[in-house]
Amino acid sequence: MQDVTKQRYKLTQSQKMMVFILSMSLYGLSNMITELVPSAYLGPIEFSIEYFAFIPLTLCILFHPLYAAIGASLGEVIFGEIMLGQFGGFGELEKFIAFSLAMYVAGTYVRDPKNLRQVGIAAMLGVSIHQAISVMVDMLKVWVGVEELEAVPGLAESVVVVEGFAFVNDLLFSGILFALLPTIYLVPRLYGKIEPLLGMKPRTRDDHFSLTEIIGARVIAGGIFLAGAAFLFEFLSESGINIIDWEADFVENYGQWVIWLSLGIAGLIALISILVMTKNKSKATGMTNEKRNVS
Amino acid sequence: MEYTRRFTEKLSVEQMKIELLHTAYGNGHTFLAKLDPRTLFLWYAFFGIVPWFLHETRILLGMLGFMIVTTVIARVSPLIIFILCLGLLGQGGYLLVISLFFGGDFSAMLPLLKLTAKLSVISLASITVFCSMNPDKLSNGLLKIGVPGQVSFSIAYGYRMLPTLLEEYHHVFQSFRLRGKAPEKRGILYWRTIYYFIQIAMRSFYPLLLSTAKRARTTVEALETKGSKYGFNHTKVKELKLASLRMQGMDYGFLIGSAIYVASLFIIF
Repeated sequence: MQDVTKQRYKLTQSQKMMVFILSMSLYGLSNMITELVPSAYLGPIEFSIEYFAFIPLTLCILFHPLYAAIGASLGEVIFGEIMLGQFGGFGELEKFIAFSLAMYVAGTYVRDPKNLRQVGIAAMLGVSIHQAISVMVDMLKVWVGVEELEAVPGLAESVVVVEGFAFVNDLLFSGILFALLPTIYLVPRLYGKIEPLLGMKPRTRDDHFSLTEIIGARVIAGGIFLAGAAFLFEFLSESGINIIDWEADFVENYGQWVIWLSLGIAGLIALISILVMTKNKSKATGMTNEKRNVS
Repeated sequence: MEYTRRFTEKLSVEQMKIELLHTAYGNGHTFLAKLDPRTLFLWYAFFGIVPWFLHETRILLGMLGFMIVTTVIARVSPLIIFILCLGLLGQGGYLLVISLFFGGDFSAMLPLLKLTAKLSVISLASITVFCSMNPDKLSNGLLKIGVPGQVSFSIAYGYRMLPTLLEEYHHVFQSFRLRGKAPEKRGILYWRTIYYFIQIAMRSFYPLLLSTAKRARTTVEALETKGSKYGFNHTKVKELKLASLRMQGMDYGFLIGSAIYVASLFIIF
């Protein structure tokens, strides 16, 4: 009835794929960069570049939020984690869902990409939804007693404090610096410029996304099921039965040198890999030169 | 001093690009690279999931040993190993500092170390599998296990394009530095310099977004001219495309060998 002016924002199959590819490769790249930038510690408090959230945010605001959001999450999991060996098993599933959801909500919130206030609110909204979900999951884990924190004096309180601080830190530090400001900078500059490159019209005030069309009952049920499964798996994997007795034994018998030994081994491996890297340098460059010549 | 200098050289963007390309295409001759992608997925499905449910340290250590062997066989790039170690060390050290800060002692480290062993098994398994497949193989494998064609193509495409994108990002970043003006004072704790670099790092994404958008369109249009949309949706085309994937004796041998090793770990301990 009222839909004469409110058209659905429709994309063809290929345009969806373009948005997906764009979002995935760019966010994957930025993840790789953040993975390599060292984080600064101030006492037990960590200041780090958590993620470049502005890339998926910008893309979700400018294009169809669903494909941009899922593309970004997939890019993160594949290039930021699996490829670099940082994959956290089933915990990633929960991250994937939380991040896609947060970015999608942020994208749908913006009706008019030229309205800076909306863009700013959407950016903060996206970051806070994502952070709130991940903090809640972490707290819940402690609450249910998934991780054997009771056995360790001082760790339970510290987890709560650290999680709380991480939330505030992520929201204020990463949120403002890496989501709010760059998104406000990028969206108006890209609006109307980047869309023609993908062969589509810019989003206007009249476009709207039907939530029911995209998020059907099946998707919601699937999401809840997956989140539940992710939590269950984490629960199962963390709750050992005989951990505590055995631990005490271990420390008595072998003492603390075991800890230092394993730390030392990790350090040694790092050192060796540094040496191997420096040694292999000439070889590696030689090989790629050959490759270039061939191709 | 010599080592630090060479090490920083090693961490240059150019080197990273080379390492990434090497990861994507350089390992075609290893034993693991000759296996069928499905074998590798199956193998990873086991070693990526099962360690979460294990609590016996000796079994975990046995698995860790096995993973180290496969990592060596797969000739994983040292850069990736280094990033992995950095992550594990950083996490362990961080939690140690925290629990000491709140009055715990070193015994707090033990459950954490076990978790680290678990994580290492899983991480090494994923690195091994990923480094042993080139983008084409990965894409075909994903297609075979039922991932939609668009997604499997996009993953392979991203895998292939990452080094190029990294190089382009670096160029943009450098040109921003060339034209811009670095802060004269460093500020307390270098905050001015850090702020300056962060600003450039984010601004550099503006040209990159535009050029990647253009590239994405070219790619998808090229795909269309090759009739990929038809291919993604029709089983006959898929069959034809995936006809080269075959489970061979080597694949079964590898899987059975792994199974025997793991089973013996469980029996012994």
